[in-house]
Amino acid sequence: MRVELDQITKIFGKLRANNAISMTLEGGRIYAILGENGAGKSTLMKILSGYQPPDSGRILLDGTPVSFSTPADALNFGIGMLHQDPLDVPSLTVLENFMLGEPGGLLPRRKAARETLIAFAERFGFTLRPDAYVDGLTIGERQQLEIVRLLSRGAQVLILDEPTTGISADQKAALFGSLQRLAHTGGLTVILVSHKLEDVEVLCDEVVVLRQGQVVGQVMMPYPTDQLVTLMFGKALDRTPRQPFERQAQTKVLHVKALTVPDSRVALVDISLEVEAGEVIGMAGLDGSGQNAFLRACAGLQFGTAGEIRLADTDVTRWNYHDRAQLGVAYAPAGRLEEGLVTGLTLTEHVALTSPAGRRVNWKTATQETKARIAHYSIRGQPDSQIETLSGGNQQRTLLSLLPSTLKLLLLENPTRGLDVESARWVWQQLLERRATGTAILFTSPDLDEIVEYSDRIIVFFGGKARMLNDPSQTSLTELGQMIGGK
Amino acid sequence: MDVVRRSDNRFTGLIRLAVTLGPALLIVVVALALILLAINKDPVTAVLQFIDGALGTDQRRSDVLMIALPVLLCSSGLLLTFTAGLWNIGIEGQVAMGAIFATGIARLVTVNTSSWLAIPAELALAMLGGALWALLAALLKTRGNVNEIFGGVALNFIAGNILLFLLNGPWQAGNYPQTAPFEAPALLPRLTPSLSLSLPALAIAATGFLAVFFILRGTHWGLQLRAMGRNARSAFMLGVRTERNMLLSMALCGMLAGLAGALLVISPISRGKLVPNISGGLGFLGVLVVLLVNVLPTWVPFVALFFAIIPIGTLKLQNLGIDPSLGNVFQSALVLAVLLANGFRTRLSRTSRES
Repeated sequence: MRVELDQITKIFGKLRANNAISMTLEGGRIYAILGENGAGKSTLMKILSGYQPPDSGRILLDGTPVSFSTPADALNFGIGMLHQDPLDVPSLTVLENFMLGEPGGLLPRRKAARETLIAFAERFGFTLRPDAYVDGLTIGERQQLEIVRLLSRGAQVLILDEPTTGISADQKAALFGSLQRLAHTGGLTVILVSHKLEDVEVLCDEVVVLRQGQVVGQVMMPYPTDQLVTLMFGKALDRTPRQPFERQAQTKVLHVKALTVPDSRVALVDISLEVEAGEVIGMAGLDGSGQNAFLRACAGLQFGTAGEIRLADTDVTRWNYHDRAQLGVAYAPAGRLEEGLVTGLTLTEHVALTSPAGRRVNWKTATQETKARIAHYSIRGQPDSQIETLSGGNQQRTLLSLLPSTLKLLLLENPTRGLDVESARWVWQQLLERRATGTAILFTSPDLDEIVEYSDRIIVFFGGKARMLNDPSQTSLTELGQMIGGK
Repeated sequence: MDVVRRSDNRFTGLIRLAVTLGPALLIVVVALALILLAINKDPVTAVLQFIDGALGTDQRRSDVLMIALPVLLCSSGLLLTFTAGLWNIGIEGQVAMGAIFATGIARLVTVNTSSWLAIPAELALAMLGGALWALLAALLKTRGNVNEIFGGVALNFIAGNILLFLLNGPWQAGNYPQTAPFEAPALLPRLTPSLSLSLPALAIAATGFLAVFFILRGTHWGLQLRAMGRNARSAFMLGVRTERNMLLSMALCGMLAGLAGALLVISPISRGKLVPNISGGLGFLGVLVVLLVNVLPTWVPFVALFFAIIPIGTLKLQNLGIDPSLGNVFQSALVLAVLLANGFRTRLSRTSRES
């Protein structure tokens, strides 16, 4: 289906999120909408998928102007959107989720739905067990479910918002394979919203670059990467070489001895690790291979069934999260609005909440402190902005600004999730500054580039086992990728 | 509720309240007028009688105020738990326990006991009783994974049965399930013999409310409760000891509910003895008050007062042959209408923002 966007404009307060955006997207092709955080990608796609109406401008499908008021409406016109965080009901099964929102009678036709589900899943090489509960699935599997659901409802245009965040390399390959089949042989219009250049380069036929709410370029792939980056940011980005880690005089921060942690899928068995002050350790592994369980066990959010965890010289094996925090351990989760920040509270309230102040809150000093942090962490927001009104990158900046200023051990779950190159670089600059003051950093990431670039040592998790790579410079990305897959 | 721009928000809060309360009140009044017309009663006379019944004399005005005090105490306690995201439906039982614990002291008081000894002891025990009952619900939640609503409902039943057991057994005086009337030193003093107004009762309720108001507006702990209520998981990750705060806010709410229970047995407007169903839905009334003001502390005293007018005013309607239960209809319909108006308002503001 041909999608034409004609002069789409959307204004939030003073911000022109979309400023007279026009483009034409043909059926049978894969497009990328590329842009840094806050470029207007999400707003545009929300308009196209019926989540919000434009302030002005038209949408034409195969030449006919259409307007829709809900996502369901848009899907009836054949436009389906896959969200970054899958919109499903975790306490229901795959089949039940598949059947949700299906039009039709009083009694659900379970049997027919099951057959459709299996047929669709097989066609795209997905392995979806109809009776599995969604809360036990990986993000990748949940995406597959959502794609199958959208296609079965007749989607002709498939919008994917950052679909490769949090899924494994295998799942990514499978996803890209099916998207290519859907577009090139199925005739679908596939739109990938992303700021990951490597994904765009592998998958897409054409790229539309947005910057500050406007289209700044529409180019055919392949296209030189550095020029894409220049289009995205309006300038070229340079790579700053990383300071190599110098082993200090044996200041051990964390000592994990033979730790065994139960997990919903794979239990972590017999993991040992010693971390020194100022060391950065990247944890690679497929989604659910145990790296997050390990991180949470170090934070005291999850407890092992065997083994020992020591912070400096203190045995903290049975200590909870808050008690370990007293010893200078902090944990930053990947789900920022789910388990990091409090929706509905302002920046100042977040600062006041995390400041170890007295009983009364001095709102004046809290506001001043917030202003200082906004300046220092270059957060785009006001002290009285509610946290959910900030963009993902600014939420991440806020989360980092809330961490105590002196830390011994910083545990990060996918610290650059959903961030564009520049924001991600900024985040790492902050982290490396902390590291320079002796903070040891343990982080997980689905992005192998990130792991190789920033880690002094790498732990590869596979099936509950950990493998230590002491010199990342000796390992190529390909080798790392194979190790993650268990080779 | 943005604490940073407080004055500004108090003003918009007032407008918002007026915008929702006004139409809701209008709708409910019109509906009631239609009901009255349908049963051949003149609505205008009824309203005049109602107002006269509630506010016509000093005696009635003082009654209204005294009835509002326990409602205010319950609502204040609920402000804390609701802010923390805890739906303390067990408050009804906590009120009953407060009354029972206060009675435990009050029935031992003789004519010769000093009031200075008896009343503080009654109040202290009432707070203890309410707090223990609330803590039980809280522990069921934090340790037993029982939702506080279900735990609260069960504990309400149990409290009611403990009350009946005491009144039909060890504490029964005479043929009816009730205690003997307490001696004068056990009761809160009246300001003047002819009025039910009691300054200590007023002071207790005002202190309770102001304490809660201050906690929520000005303290770090109040901020923690708000963070928990919005996202307990994030609050925990940001360093808030959520379990301890749950227990604490429930216990505080229980204390205030216990005080309300004490007022129900020893304030001048009470019967001065323990009777079955002592709470009589007072705790639930507190829930309605807090829902009505959308958990905004400033408005709680006014709404509590307003709700206290209704039962007194409707008493007078009996003269016209109208059943006082009309008052309950009025109260509940009003809450429903305001919640509806709130829903419409958010919907309107959302669509106006989008288009």
